[in-house]
Amino acid sequence: MRRLWIVVVVLALLAVILPGVGPASAQQNRIIVYSALPDLETSLVHREFTRRTGIQVEALSVAAAGTLQARIRAEKDRPRADIFVGGSRDFHIPLAREGLLLAYRSPVAAEAKVSPDYLDPAGFWHGWYLGALSIIINTDRWDREMAPRRVAKPATWDDLAKAEFRGQFVMPSPITTGGGYIFVAGQVFRLGEDRAWTFLKALSANAVQFTPTAPGTITLLERGEAIVGMMWAHEAIGARTLRGAPLEVIVPPDTGFEVGAVSIIKGGPNPAGARAYIDFLMTRVPQDINARYGFRYPVRGDVEVPRGATPFNQLKFVKYDLEWAIQNQVRLRERWTREIGR
Amino acid sequence: MAVARWGDLRRHAGDPWLLVTFAGAAAALGIFVLYPAFRVLVYPTWQDYLAIPRSLRWMQAARNSLVMMVISTVTATFIGLAFAFATTRADMPGRRLFRTIAMLPLFAPPFMVAFAYILMFGRQGLVTKSLLGLSANIFGWHGLWLVQTIAFFPLAMLIIAGVLDAVNPSLEHAARNLGADEWTVVKTISLALARPGIAGAMLVVAISVLADFGNAVIIAGGFPLLATEAWFRMEGMGDLKGAALVVAMLLVPTAGLFLLERFWVSRRVYTVVTGRGSRIARPPTPAFLRWAAVAICTLASLLIFLVYFGVIAGAFTTVWGRDWSLTLDHWRLAADRISSLWVSVKIGALAGLITGTVGVLVAFLTSRSLPLRHVLDFLAVLPGALPGVFVGVGYVLAFNPTFIGGTMWTLAAALAFWHLPMGYQAASARFKQIERAIEEAAVNLGATGLRVLRDVYLPLLLPALVEAFAVSFIRAVTNVSIVVFLITPGQVVATFVILNMIQNNIWGAAGALTTMLLLLTFVAIGLTWLSVGRIVRSPGVG
Repeated sequence: MRRLWIVVVVLALLAVILPGVGPASAQQNRIIVYSALPDLETSLVHREFTRRTGIQVEALSVAAAGTLQARIRAEKDRPRADIFVGGSRDFHIPLAREGLLLAYRSPVAAEAKVSPDYLDPAGFWHGWYLGALSIIINTDRWDREMAPRRVAKPATWDDLAKAEFRGQFVMPSPITTGGGYIFVAGQVFRLGEDRAWTFLKALSANAVQFTPTAPGTITLLERGEAIVGMMWAHEAIGARTLRGAPLEVIVPPDTGFEVGAVSIIKGGPNPAGARAYIDFLMTRVPQDINARYGFRYPVRGDVEVPRGATPFNQLKFVKYDLEWAIQNQVRLRERWTREIGR
Repeated sequence: MAVARWGDLRRHAGDPWLLVTFAGAAAALGIFVLYPAFRVLVYPTWQDYLAIPRSLRWMQAARNSLVMMVISTVTATFIGLAFAFATTRADMPGRRLFRTIAMLPLFAPPFMVAFAYILMFGRQGLVTKSLLGLSANIFGWHGLWLVQTIAFFPLAMLIIAGVLDAVNPSLEHAARNLGADEWTVVKTISLALARPGIAGAMLVVAISVLADFGNAVIIAGGFPLLATEAWFRMEGMGDLKGAALVVAMLLVPTAGLFLLERFWVSRRVYTVVTGRGSRIARPPTPAFLRWAAVAICTLASLLIFLVYFGVIAGAFTTVWGRDWSLTLDHWRLAADRISSLWVSVKIGALAGLITGTVGVLVAFLTSRSLPLRHVLDFLAVLPGALPGVFVGVGYVLAFNPTFIGGTMWTLAAALAFWHLPMGYQAASARFKQIERAIEEAAVNLGATGLRVLRDVYLPLLLPALVEAFAVSFIRAVTNVSIVVFLITPGQVVATFVILNMIQNNIWGAAGALTTMLLLLTFVAIGLTWLSVGRIVRSPGVG
């Protein structure tokens, strides 16, 4: 009787395993994509890509560009993936400098007259969406706890450092996330380095947490673990529109922004497919999907701005020196560890 | 000694296949156990190691990890002791029920307790917000403390109960007859004899707490810990060297505790020589102790119930904390990702097959009088000392540049060899039970070493093989600590999807997918039980 069971189990297992094992089917018409965007947008964009080009996509979505950057570095002797998509250009530029990316200038980008600000002059990365940092408020808790005390809603970065918000502020860690770092560098550009650190120290006294991943900040705000926060506006608008999260978005003056990039990994298995992918992302359809479901701004002028978002050109940005921000990344992060220590 | 070994070797020289197998097994262990560990340790330079004390964040993470280790180990062992005590005494009410409930956390994915307690005790918690009207912050060391206590006390219970069970009741009766009161009996006989068990339990729990990634990544919040810091290094900063340094730091205490457990405590078990085992009932337990143990067990059981209840209820609730109406929407979203469950099954089955075969093979080889068999034995139990994140980083460094890098084989191999100690020790234990005379008879009839394995041992070891397979399978499909480092495109497993969902606040679908994963593990446990007639246990490092 027991023998019989063992035989049944073994046969069932073989039936499960055998079809999947063996050399990966030698599919020529396939690209492998590392995506730092959430599952939803990624899979919708890829469905359209496959429908239009006939090229299959195998994607790994991890909502943390640093992880994917690390993978691409680790795999540099034998690259597995063709495309690195999503995440601010801050993650693509170091890879390009290390010689891990393949240059390409998409004719579609030129055709669509995408602003040269969003394209790498050397062609290592193409910007295809934009995002702005913002103040985010959990309105449920605000109405219950702050409104009765007649606290004014924060409208500038400096407001976030006020004593009313002690233990109620959350933002992504500048040590482990791109958004957190762009914010800190932005404060240096806004205030100069010395005053920036005074401000950051006051801010950190309010912080309940510096979340190690970027989505973690939205999670905490959405659950009401904090009342105010600093995060990409599109993440909060998305949570509000798609899940009914009680979040309000205020984009303060002197904010920072990201240029969400896509790049081709040098030595990947299918460079022709990768070029087709870049061309596709520069067209209207994927940027529209990303605006509709990810609430990120398109770089093309002919795609509608996401619902509930202020038009990008009406936002007031801090003068952001990209080169300085990249050069000083290690130093600022070390100083953060030393002086804030969280 | 050396002479004897060479004599052995000469004896086996007539049996080349045995030697070839031995060499093969040693090579496999060298490549898949030693080499990745070696790669981690040599990846940073000496200067990097020397710079560790100057890094504020890492020293903080190290300190926090040690503090959590101490407090979680103490509470988990205490509750484990209460459960062990309650379930080994006949006059305890509800002892069978308690034991069954206490086993439940052992089969849950390692992040499940944390996930459920956010639902129960967080800002939107059913208990904290809706029942008590509190606004509680569960994130941080205190939340992690609660979670680790509940997640790991079953390990302590299993170990201590094993020792308490072995205390001969006649000793307790003898003490009573000599005039000791109930208290003194418990203090000087039962608990005194259980001391090595308690020490062993503490060490095993301490290793699990140090290596705990799944719970910490969800509930520790901004509280830096070594196990999660390694992952943040890679996730946020793409810093492989930092990740290697942090896991190397983590290895020091876990390996130390592991060696302590293996070479000190486990050899100090008090054996009471009484001849045949005794079946007489134990003397009554002091009433105060009885009710105290029952109270602790009831509270802990309730907390375990909330783990399962929270996750399953979350899967059916429209918006947790805001809209309590029931819905099936989350199941539709989870069904969209059901392919990840099949990938889990596939990789888990592969890992199980490898753990089972290699485990039985190595157990067979170490039971031979071959030279260097102690080395083989050491390599087969070594993964028990390695935290999951260490193995994850090790496999990234060792195998990403090779032909199996970036395929599901790397992940399957990492999971299989990490769980090897369980398969190997289960098989070893069975080998010791098999009468040597059967083998000698076969050898006298002219069977060679491998023939002995095939015709004598394999049929007798089939249950061990199935058990090793099952343990490895269950732990592979629920693993996160290795998965997060070795996940590959096209082969995304269920735990990875769930972890992302929890971090992105998609609780309902995360609960639904976790429920499906739980069903899968319980089916696996059920099938194994039908095949070998025993409930598999899956103790070990988290």
